[in-house]
Amino acid sequence: MTDRRRALTTLFTGVVVAAALGCGGEAGGDDATVAAWRKAGLEVSAMTETPAAPYGASACKAGTVSGVDVVLCSFPTDAAAKAAEEAGLGVVGQATGAALAAGSRLLVVADRRKADPTGRTIDAVTRAFRK
Amino acid sequence: MRTYIISLVVLVATFGAARADRKPSRYVGIHPIPKAQGGGVCHIQAPHIHVYAPADVKLQYRDHDGWSYFVGDPVAYGWDGPKVSYYGHHPVPVEVLIGDDHGHDEYCYLEGPHYHAWEPPSGLSLELRGGAYWYTGDFPAAYVEARPVYDPIDTVYQPIKYERPVVEVSVAPPGWYGAVVVAPAVVAPVEVRPARVQAEVRVPAPSVRVEIAVPTVQIGIGGGIYVGGSHGHKHKYKGKRGHKRGHRHDD
Repeated sequence: MTDRRRALTTLFTGVVVAAALGCGGEAGGDDATVAAWRKAGLEVSAMTETPAAPYGASACKAGTVSGVDVVLCSFPTDAAAKAAEEAGLGVVGQATGAALAAGSRLLVVADRRKADPTGRTIDAVTRAFRK
Repeated sequence: MRTYIISLVVLVATFGAARADRKPSRYVGIHPIPKAQGGGVCHIQAPHIHVYAPADVKLQYRDHDGWSYFVGDPVAYGWDGPKVSYYGHHPVPVEVLIGDDHGHDEYCYLEGPHYHAWEPPSGLSLELRGGAYWYTGDFPAAYVEARPVYDPIDTVYQPIKYERPVVEVSVAPPGWYGAVVVAPAVVAPVEVRPARVQAEVRVPAPSVRVEIAVPTVQIGIGGGIYVGGSHGHKHKYKGKRGHKRGHRHDD
């Protein structure tokens, strides 16, 4: 392999990696949050797309973390994410839960099955999201 | 019969609607869970909601932008997380503890040894001595004005049996402001700044129960003398001067 070919290969690899990161979202995005939850010892289900309209978001994913429901949404701006906290609390409804913005993302977590009576899981979920 | 059934349906529908419309309560930080909801302590630090309302909200909570912040002793309710010992009244820098910039200071009105789940942030005049933090700074007018409202918080803890921190009160810092009433018509201590002389209860007997049934008199910072209400405190002192006193409030 010539030096020129090696350089082109390296450049191509870099482009592919950058594109993959771009598709995955911003740094500290959903993947990083899921990784942080797992690192905290929480059991995370698959995160699947869910309607973003209730939150006024660009896109949302939903799943469960150690028995509590979580939704991660992305917004065009930080202010939009912050403003959506109230809508998030509305979705939590009569359950114990939280709706927190961090940057342009929103976390909504709700304990609808009473799996977390003392809030330890929700505390761990919100701490990891805010880091 | 028909009327009865209709009335029953209306009643059930009304009650059901009321339950469905129950507005969740907003909390920020850890707080006790009411016994009817299972008891214990909610560990969620971030702003969050529950369907139940705070217990003893007027004494144990402060409003922070619409969110209830618990200022009491979580150990009394079974908190098993990090805990820090304090003695007497002191500021509670809510905005620092929550992590926002809304500029909100409150005050803890718990008498004697007690716990909080937070280390005092730098900048507060809290001095660690004898196993507890003592506030040696000035209390502003807001503290004095709110005292009649919040001071009865000790009555909430009187029926609760739990281990209070053991604090060596004989090493209280010179700037500490506090008061202990020994017996009817006897007032102690009176701290006069800048001399900051601190009188204390000295009980030679191994265990003496002191009943307080008179108003306490204390020197307010910047506000002259004011008279506090009688709370019927019962303090159980053990040991002698210079020894550690087991401030286990089992009354």
